[in-house]
Amino acid sequence: MSRANAEQQQPATTGTTLIVFVGLAIAFLLFMAFLNVVKSGNVLNESNLLFAALIFYSGAGALYLGFGVTGTDSYVKFASLATWAGLLANTGAVAHRWYEAGHPPFASVYEMLLSFVWTLAVLTLIAEKKYGVKVIGTVTMPVAIVGVVLMQLLRTEVHPLVPALQSTWLHVHVTLAMLAYAACALSFALAMMFLIQDKMQTETFLAATGVSTLAIYASIVLTRFEKGGLSLVAWSVEEKREVFLSKGIRLFVVIPDLGWLILLTTLVVAAPLALYALARSKKDDSYLAIANRAVFISILLQIMTLVLFLLRAREGAYPSLDADGLFTTSLAASPFILSGLVGGIFISLLYLLLLWRRPDLERLLPDANSLDRITYKTICIAFPLLTLMIAAGAYWANQTWGSYWNWDPKETWAAITWLVYAGYLHMRITRGWRGRRAAYFAILGFGVVMFTFFGVTYLLPGLHAYA
Amino acid sequence: MAVSFGTVTRKTWQTAASIKTGVVLLILVVILAAAGTVILQRPMTEPDDMQRAYSPSALRLLDAVGLTDVFHAWWFIGLMILVSLCIIAASIDRFPNAWRFYSRPYKYPDGTFRRALHPQKTIAIADEESGLVAAERALHSIGMKPERVVREDHFGLFAERHRISEMAVYIVHASLLLIFFGWIVDGVFGWRGTVSLDEGQTSNVVELRDGTKRELPFALRCDAAGQENYKDGTPKKWWSKLAVVEGGQDVKSKEIVVNDPLVYKGVRFYQSSFGENGKVNKLVIAATPNPAYGAGSVSAAASSGANSTDKQEEIAFTLGDTANLDADTTVRFAEFFTDYAVRDGQVYKRSNELGSPAAHLIVTAKSSGKSFDVWFPQLDEVADNSKAPYLLEPKDLKLGHFTGLQVSHEPGQWGVWSGVVLLGVGLAFVFYVIHMRFWAVPVRDERTGLYSLWIGGSANRNRDAFEERFNELIAAIEKEVQPSSSLAPSEQIATASTR
Repeated sequence: MSRANAEQQQPATTGTTLIVFVGLAIAFLLFMAFLNVVKSGNVLNESNLLFAALIFYSGAGALYLGFGVTGTDSYVKFASLATWAGLLANTGAVAHRWYEAGHPPFASVYEMLLSFVWTLAVLTLIAEKKYGVKVIGTVTMPVAIVGVVLMQLLRTEVHPLVPALQSTWLHVHVTLAMLAYAACALSFALAMMFLIQDKMQTETFLAATGVSTLAIYASIVLTRFEKGGLSLVAWSVEEKREVFLSKGIRLFVVIPDLGWLILLTTLVVAAPLALYALARSKKDDSYLAIANRAVFISILLQIMTLVLFLLRAREGAYPSLDADGLFTTSLAASPFILSGLVGGIFISLLYLLLLWRRPDLERLLPDANSLDRITYKTICIAFPLLTLMIAAGAYWANQTWGSYWNWDPKETWAAITWLVYAGYLHMRITRGWRGRRAAYFAILGFGVVMFTFFGVTYLLPGLHAYA
Repeated sequence: MAVSFGTVTRKTWQTAASIKTGVVLLILVVILAAAGTVILQRPMTEPDDMQRAYSPSALRLLDAVGLTDVFHAWWFIGLMILVSLCIIAASIDRFPNAWRFYSRPYKYPDGTFRRALHPQKTIAIADEESGLVAAERALHSIGMKPERVVREDHFGLFAERHRISEMAVYIVHASLLLIFFGWIVDGVFGWRGTVSLDEGQTSNVVELRDGTKRELPFALRCDAAGQENYKDGTPKKWWSKLAVVEGGQDVKSKEIVVNDPLVYKGVRFYQSSFGENGKVNKLVIAATPNPAYGAGSVSAAASSGANSTDKQEEIAFTLGDTANLDADTTVRFAEFFTDYAVRDGQVYKRSNELGSPAAHLIVTAKSSGKSFDVWFPQLDEVADNSKAPYLLEPKDLKLGHFTGLQVSHEPGQWGVWSGVVLLGVGLAFVFYVIHMRFWAVPVRDERTGLYSLWIGGSANRNRDAFEERFNELIAAIEKEVQPSSSLAPSEQIATASTR
């Protein structure tokens, strides 16, 4: 039913979607440009290079999306040109950082993101040129964009290396980690494409989109909803860091009314999921058509939420529940809420792309079998890298902390990642798991990687405090 | 009974060796390890923080089941042992087959095998010998070393490369066991602790993590320790000059820094912290005879008269030292406060941290038996600085440092590191070394009496890339066969290849 609907809409929507996408991309860039002008500085500095990288990556992302929508081959040429240009600017930023800091950029979350995005861009180009997976940028470029946006917000000052980080093993360990994580990201993108190519039902993607956006918004509401307002970490503009009430306890400010909007968006992003459940239980596909419309509405609402969030959280002073007076906040104080909001929009847009242009996408991608094989090969590269990364980390820990294994959360989660991929390899090699189940496994693996990279750093305390 | 016991044993064995059990155990490890990162762990958390985070009843429950120290709980260690046993069982279960495959390579393919094999190809040849020679040349050209297999009435060619790849997965499993083994050895025989040494101090006692002390068969002396800072004041480097003393002799010395420990007899000393120990290494003062002094004391007046008033004497001492200012007058370095406070005419120590330091010196004139309290800084309530026979002035104060060392003894390390190296090698073999086999068998068609060469290939992974390689080999063989193939009519080639 939805399929028929989508096909009827096709001629009309192709152009419109493209315009919507490009328009969004431009609005996004202008906003970032605005942010950047506020910062200002001399011309060829790191933040400008990064900004150039952001523009090129965004352009590449838009072009890859455009290629996905229209199937025009010239788009992909320009998209990879833009990726090259972005990579060049990114390399410049890495080099600048390296030169200024006197050590490779691996010492903080910001620096590691810099390296991660660089590696991801390199791998995207390799996957495109070597394996012919042309639309891989549709998935990896948004990841790169989110990475660069996060970088703009996280602190950027060069910090000297604390004694524990002054080791060659730091470089070995982090290089391996970045390579491994980028390979995992690639395997995730390939697994997603496999699912598209494997004629997986659009409804299943609908459910997945619903679950992930709902998870993003529900976690924001559950942790930050405060009497109709949205609770954010206070940010000291002068010191460029979060404000602490006492050791380890952050001061939160409440932006009034924004909480209601987030709550409303949560309900709206839950609607497609509810309609999907209804369609499944009543075995009536007409609900799915409504669900697809609901996704569209939810995107509009999500964009509105993002814009309002950007406008209100960027600056301004708000009251706090824990202390008297007004306190300032900044986007830099809430990088994860911001990337959650941006990520939710990307996920929903990807679903719309899939819904409207599925036959074209299927035509443009390599066949399911080769995607399955390339996913496996990517994991065959990622797994030894993960192993070596953990080993190098253990060796280094042994020299610094006096023990090769401390069960620190980051270590534990790295081990969990390793186990998940080991499980994948065993199921594939000895049980002959191919195709869809293997693809789910690859997606799960990347989820764990992301949690290890970001989640552990920000949610769980431990020795790895600097990363 | 015996039979059922046998059945039980076999069933247990099968369960232990099955991949399903392995996966279930791994999922359990993952869940429990994740729980260990989400729930605060006692070894890494202050007791106060634990109490703040959980209600008393919840904390009691968590403590009771061991969730506050997951990684040292008996059930977690038990689980790790089960995983090891599972790896051993699975490896033993599958090893004989793999070993047979490895030790007795399958060199002559029978009819069933030849029919089922993919990829394969049949090429028309003039006769058996020329066909085999062509195949041999082609195999040599791609770097393989074919051997002739002669068996009763059959013969053919066999070539293979990287047979070791079949064993790679056992190398990986063995390396994991080696790592576990080393880790268990460390858990049983290893220990960790700390030593804090002041500059110049020697000690052979390590305070272990559980609070007990351990005596080492040798002692460690800290000769010096220090810190270097970056321009912005953050620490750049901590260093300590250490010497190992055994039997009264210095047997080893090294300047250690973070990331570069001192190792002696399997005990490793790591730089972990550095700071002021609240003691004084050296206080330097300048003493000038006090012109205002001497109203009552003749000898002092005489001595001060004898020396010129501008004569200044520098004295360096440590806490408790006494120095002579002249024949009659001595000065003793009596007290040092890292952080002082004055209340009701008394000086108190406010804290052990270096805050506002104060030094107390006592100047005594023997002949009169009078003592004067001299304080730096001059604390008016208690100090007699200006009444003393000499005016003292502080010139330099060098505070003592301590170096905090982590000490560990990990006798199982060799197992862990050799396991890691082996793991790397094993994984390289598993993923990147491919066991390739080629067979070539000349076949004579019973009906036409013409010869053809059957060629088959097999690879244990990366089969699509191998197929390309196989096709290249076929092309090479066809090229070698070409000169003589004019003898064979083309229709026979077609017959041969469709069989």
